[in-house]
Amino acid sequence: MRDWLKEPRIASLAVAACLALLMMPAAAQTPPYRAARAADGKPNLNGIWQALNSADWDLEGHAAAKGPVPSLGAVFAVPPALGVVEGDVIPYLPVAAAKKKANQAAWMQLDPEVKCYMPGVPRATYLPYPFQILQSQKNIMISYEFGNTVRVINMEAPTKAPGDSWMGWSNGRWEGETLVVDVTSFNEDTWFDRAGNFHSDALHVVERYTPRSADTLNYEATIEDPKVFSLPWKISMPLYRRVEKNARLLEFRCAEFAEELLYGDLRKKTK
Amino acid sequence: MKISLFVMISSVGLLLAAGPAWAHHAFAAEFDQNKPLKLQGTVAKWEMTNPHSWIHIDVKKDDGSVVRWMIEGGSPNNLYRLGFTKESLPPGTEIIVEGFQAKDKSTRAVGKNITFTDGRTLFLGLSATESEPGKK
Amino acid sequence: MNYRLLASTALAAVVLVLLLAKGSVGQTAPAAAKPGKAWTPPRTPDGQPDLQGIWNNSTITPLERPKGLGAKEFYTEQEFVELAKRVRQGDVGKEADLGAANPQALRYDLSLYGFDVTKTSFASNRRTSLIVGPEGVVPPMLPEARKRNADRAAKNKGHEFDSYENRPLQERCILMGQERIPMLPAAGEGNLLQITQGQGWIGLLHETNHDTRFIPTDGRPHIPQNIRQYQGDSVGHWEGNTLVIDTTNFTDLVPFRGSGEKLHLVERFSRIADDTILYRFTVEDPTTWDRPWTVEIPMSQAKGPIYEWGCHEGNTMISTILRGARVQEEEAAQKSGK
Repeated sequence: MRDWLKEPRIASLAVAACLALLMMPAAAQTPPYRAARAADGKPNLNGIWQALNSADWDLEGHAAAKGPVPSLGAVFAVPPALGVVEGDVIPYLPVAAAKKKANQAAWMQLDPEVKCYMPGVPRATYLPYPFQILQSQKNIMISYEFGNTVRVINMEAPTKAPGDSWMGWSNGRWEGETLVVDVTSFNEDTWFDRAGNFHSDALHVVERYTPRSADTLNYEATIEDPKVFSLPWKISMPLYRRVEKNARLLEFRCAEFAEELLYGDLRKKTK
Repeated sequence: MKISLFVMISSVGLLLAAGPAWAHHAFAAEFDQNKPLKLQGTVAKWEMTNPHSWIHIDVKKDDGSVVRWMIEGGSPNNLYRLGFTKESLPPGTEIIVEGFQAKDKSTRAVGKNITFTDGRTLFLGLSATESEPGKK
Repeated sequence: MNYRLLASTALAAVVLVLLLAKGSVGQTAPAAAKPGKAWTPPRTPDGQPDLQGIWNNSTITPLERPKGLGAKEFYTEQEFVELAKRVRQGDVGKEADLGAANPQALRYDLSLYGFDVTKTSFASNRRTSLIVGPEGVVPPMLPEARKRNADRAAKNKGHEFDSYENRPLQERCILMGQERIPMLPAAGEGNLLQITQGQGWIGLLHETNHDTRFIPTDGRPHIPQNIRQYQGDSVGHWEGNTLVIDTTNFTDLVPFRGSGEKLHLVERFSRIADDTILYRFTVEDPTTWDRPWTVEIPMSQAKGPIYEWGCHEGNTMISTILRGARVQEEEAAQKSGK
């Protein structure tokens, strides 16, 4: 019965097969995750998602630090993080690096998030609040719980923006399992985080949303701004599905909560 | 004076019943009907923002000094749909503004009527000669 | 008797009547489909009636029936043609309500920004008012509602300019008006609604204040009663080709024609033609009216796209208004020699 192994051709085939298996890189053995399909055959990104990191505090890695409001103690201290920037450091041009430092020193006064202004892209993705993707063929709507912010991603032939906006102008397309979104026409008024990282109106962002399991996405954003950075740079992080029953976004119209700091000094003085 | 948050929140929340966005009193509360003005100046920039757009103009006073006025206008969104862009009103353009000054006496005014020096009205007047607005 | 002549005359008469009935209304064909001839909407890939697109509910038809029209719910085709002709000449008449599009002394001229009164229109369903039914008006307010609203106004009296809390929600960019539900249109701009359908959810994005509602159609219940929201809590389901959205959980800060927090709203969206969605809503509030009332507004397909409508970010209304009040108080104080 084992005589067939003694056959020289079969034996050498068996050896070759073993060698091939040993030499194959491990990754090639597991095919990329293939997400469930939407009714039109595209990967299904519908759902409520949320980042689970402290990227909104500071995209770059950092140790824990005292927060800006002493009376809030540990509740509002800066949590530690490994950082989500590939290469660890955001490549500022020298003049811009100085502005970043100045931003950071005065972030409570300057950070648009404090005023409940629209967060821009990619910050809207990693704010510590959920967002919802609603996917159709001609466009994809993303609703962010923070400030009832919204984006519409055009999935038909790309179009151009007539002017600048807080959330930019989004044209999207599918590349295999990945939703690629090209975002331009930003105004210069949003920040990337609470650490003063900023951009100009020349900002160009390319996002990639790739399902990595039934309940997680891999999110990457490449950021380019020749007025502020010496090179394009990239962030990446997982996004987690909010799986609880009846998960949904609730109203967080935070403009109301910023009014005292914005208009409190205009209140009628009483004697 | 401290008012409890509960009282503050529950005492108002006024929203005009009939719905439309720009209620009479919002403008009447912001601008002064006793302070009509007519300004002629050159466009410094055009902020195509919401809820209002703003045209910043430099107005030369009699003594030769220049004052920057901000003129409040409507939403740019419909202008976009008509084919207008930031480039439709370039800096340096001379315009004439009839309007009313803000009640806080700042150099802000609402631009009730805006024309070019040749009498053409802004935006729709532009379309006749300069831009090619998109068809509705 | 020449029956053939009679028959052909009768036939000619019938044809003539049909031609006149069809009318030469031109672009404003009545929205309602002929009875017995239901139009079937296309379907999304997952089998739902397709309501997607950008829709415009703008109209000059008033909410309440003009005085003198009594129980008349619909204009005849001929009357409708006459009204449209008059509008094209710039006269909307007393049958219309221009609302905020009426000229205002202290506002920029709307025509600077593209408003053209000759391009406005009465609702394509030929209704005399948006409110349906023989009365065509909002039911009278119950005494408890009158008291509730009067108390609120009294509390604010004399304090209208004290602080941002005393100002209307539209000056604070919390809710502007046309986007709040139930949706009532204005004659001019700011009426665009974009609908996108995903798996088990419908997204409604109103251009005004970028107000977004994502509504589940999976049969889930409302959120707990103690959580109140400016736009309430909406859950949806399909009844045939009609999307039905049920909304409760309103706060008491958003009175709709005087309603309280018990307001219950049911909205219905039916695509009745390729370019028309019929929007019908019914409101009830036992603390405000003794009966529900219903509004019907056709929405027509619009050329978008919708652009970002930031409000809070660019809000100079509230700060200028409050500062103006402080300046005037200071002047008054100085005049009285303080």
